[in-house]
Amino acid sequence: MQKASADPAIAPKRKRKSISYDKYGYFFVAPFFIVFLVFQLYPIFFTFRTSLTDAAGWTKVLDNKIIGFDNFAKIFNFGSEISKFFWQSLGNTVIMWIFNFIPQIGMALILASWFTDSRMRLKFQGGFKVMIFMPNIITAATIGILFMSLFGYPIAPINTLMQQIGFSHSPFEFFRSTTAARGITSFIQWWMWYGNTMIIMIAGILGINTALFEAALVDGCSSRQTFWKITLPLIKPILLYNLVTSLVGGLTMFDIPHLMTQGNPNYTTNTVARFIYQQGFETPNNFNVASAASVVLFGIIVICSLILSAIMKDRDKVKSKGAKK
Amino acid sequence: MKKVVSLLMVLMLLVGCVSFAAAEEEIVLNVWSFTNELEGMIEKYYAPSHPNVKINYTIYPTDGGEYTSKVDNIMAAAAASDEAPDIFTLEAAFVKKYVNSPVTADLAKVGITEEDVAAAIPVMKQIGTNTATGELKGLSWQATPGALMYRASLAEKYLGVKTPEEFQAKVADWDLFMETAAEVNEKSEGATKMVVGAGDIWNAFNFGREQGWVVDGKLVIDPILYDYLDLAVELEQDDLSNKGNAWTEAWFLGMKSDTTLCFFLPTWGLHYTLKPNCGYTTNDKMNDAEMKAACEADGGTYGDWRMVAGPVGYSWGGTWIGANDAKVAAASDAKKAAIKDFILFFTMSEEFLYTYAKDSGDFVGSNAVVDKILAEGGTPNPFLGGQDHYTIFAEAANLANGSIMTDYDEKMNSLWSDHVTTPYSKGEVDLDTAIANFKAQVTAQFPELIVE
Repeated sequence: MQKASADPAIAPKRKRKSISYDKYGYFFVAPFFIVFLVFQLYPIFFTFRTSLTDAAGWTKVLDNKIIGFDNFAKIFNFGSEISKFFWQSLGNTVIMWIFNFIPQIGMALILASWFTDSRMRLKFQGGFKVMIFMPNIITAATIGILFMSLFGYPIAPINTLMQQIGFSHSPFEFFRSTTAARGITSFIQWWMWYGNTMIIMIAGILGINTALFEAALVDGCSSRQTFWKITLPLIKPILLYNLVTSLVGGLTMFDIPHLMTQGNPNYTTNTVARFIYQQGFETPNNFNVASAASVVLFGIIVICSLILSAIMKDRDKVKSKGAKK
Repeated sequence: MKKVVSLLMVLMLLVGCVSFAAAEEEIVLNVWSFTNELEGMIEKYYAPSHPNVKINYTIYPTDGGEYTSKVDNIMAAAAASDEAPDIFTLEAAFVKKYVNSPVTADLAKVGITEEDVAAAIPVMKQIGTNTATGELKGLSWQATPGALMYRASLAEKYLGVKTPEEFQAKVADWDLFMETAAEVNEKSEGATKMVVGAGDIWNAFNFGREQGWVVDGKLVIDPILYDYLDLAVELEQDDLSNKGNAWTEAWFLGMKSDTTLCFFLPTWGLHYTLKPNCGYTTNDKMNDAEMKAACEADGGTYGDWRMVAGPVGYSWGGTWIGANDAKVAAASDAKKAAIKDFILFFTMSEEFLYTYAKDSGDFVGSNAVVDKILAEGGTPNPFLGGQDHYTIFAEAANLANGSIMTDYDEKMNSLWSDHVTTPYSKGEVDLDTAIANFKAQVTAQFPELIVE
């Protein structure tokens, strides 16, 4: 139509007939892009720039000079304290993420396959889904504070309960034990997010052509075989999506450890995001180091995501090649 | 036609507003703060007597460092602009950061003299003073000295102590304090502990230091802090405390039940923390009679508390008023006078402070007014069984030494507690490791400090 209206002879007539509404589309997406450019893209570039400057303290935010990669050197100079705490934080984050992610994806897969299994016909599915998803609706801050008081010491609900049922005689200080503190943090992340992952999995499974399941049923596949041979391979893209979003979310974990443990005991629940926060916004305002740490974290996430998608995609390619032959 | 007429009327209104404003020649002061406390005081006490001063009051909460970020930001970018504050308030957590930096004005620049502030309580004045230059940069309408609150009935039962004077004799220094702690634990067979945890005595104990956290750009661990650690170990490992932290369930339980004998609390802690938590159903909206009734109904501690100075004079918290140096430098004489008047009105005016103290029960920052209230018989407090809290606080206020406060206190205190006191007192690490961990954290977070 665009081409037709370019013809001068018929242009006026045509113009009236086919008014293009295309441009309104841009108006509708404009708010998002404006907000995105101002509040996301610009800060991202500003972070990159700040990571190369000497901007320590508010007075230097606007008036700083580029000093090159010194801030990165601090993070990669493995003898220094900054480097020590950055990598220790990264290690803590990865441990807490793994212990949240494996049960999360496992639980979500099991529940999703149960909810979609035509042979099981679970009752009250809607009710279960709502209850399982519920923790995700509450803000992390509230949950952090809630668990902090639940697992408090020496007088708190969990300790009182444990003593009353005779599980222990003296109160246990959960937040002074590395295992317990990390475990509780992982548990909260798992508990908050497995419902969400499950919903996405269900959507993925429902996207599979039902003819496949019916054929499997006719051929006499067991539930287990259907799951391993049909469901799992076909929701691989959804699994990849979950893996990557969870990785990004997990490595930038902040609110729960910040509110619940403040990195205690002995810095073992301090996450990278908390490290960045400490450098940037607690008293010293080392924005340069905080930005450099953010950029390093960004790099780590990008590399991990690429590796994950490479691992998951390669097999697909091999398969599709085989199919072509 | 109607449109034209209405437009004209609107225009006339606008012109009217503008011309009225111009005619009065009022002075506009931008005031920034983090709560509405000062705003309420301005409306109630200041505004009626100062019709020609217009206050633009702005509040940014301290949560997540929003207030300090806003202040830092505007001071870095546009300190002399119209949006920037002329006057801003400073909390104990960050007052030193600002009075030690050039953004706050030396109050002498607006004409506040030594004589004007002679009656100010020394510790509050000390904290409001630039450590390096000695310029006075912040003043406070209140003083926040701390004292030791204890349960009269428990003290009598376990220690045979009948009066606050006798109790003070048992806690006059830290050695006696620990002996008493052991005695309480023994006589009560572990039912009552001296304090909730080692963190409780920190706010008082750290005022016994001779040097602050940072001296000449160097990290200093005052030798007395090692004594504190010994004390913390005893409290934790010899079962002399409830082993809980401040602001947790165990802490609040200690206020309403017989599990804890003492609390170290300042002026605001008495009124806003201890009192509302003295019973199981009490809250901060109740008046004295309601609290008493609630405690009688379900076994609270109302009226059973007494107050003594304790082992050391200390101060905890507070709010200071400071002026923006850039705006003061650019201000007209009339405006400077208005800034001076504003600060002195709230911090030194005997008439105002006296009325305010009578209305609110707050402990005010002028010794002249404190003396006046004491001379009139003080403020018998039914919560303290009729004891007068002004006398004890006045004594503590003049004992506390504010010269050890530094810009770093808040962060250092929390690092010290997280990496030294807690792990060491619980026997998780040895002392050398704890100190090394603490120093490593300081090095990572404050690259500008020399850590030896």
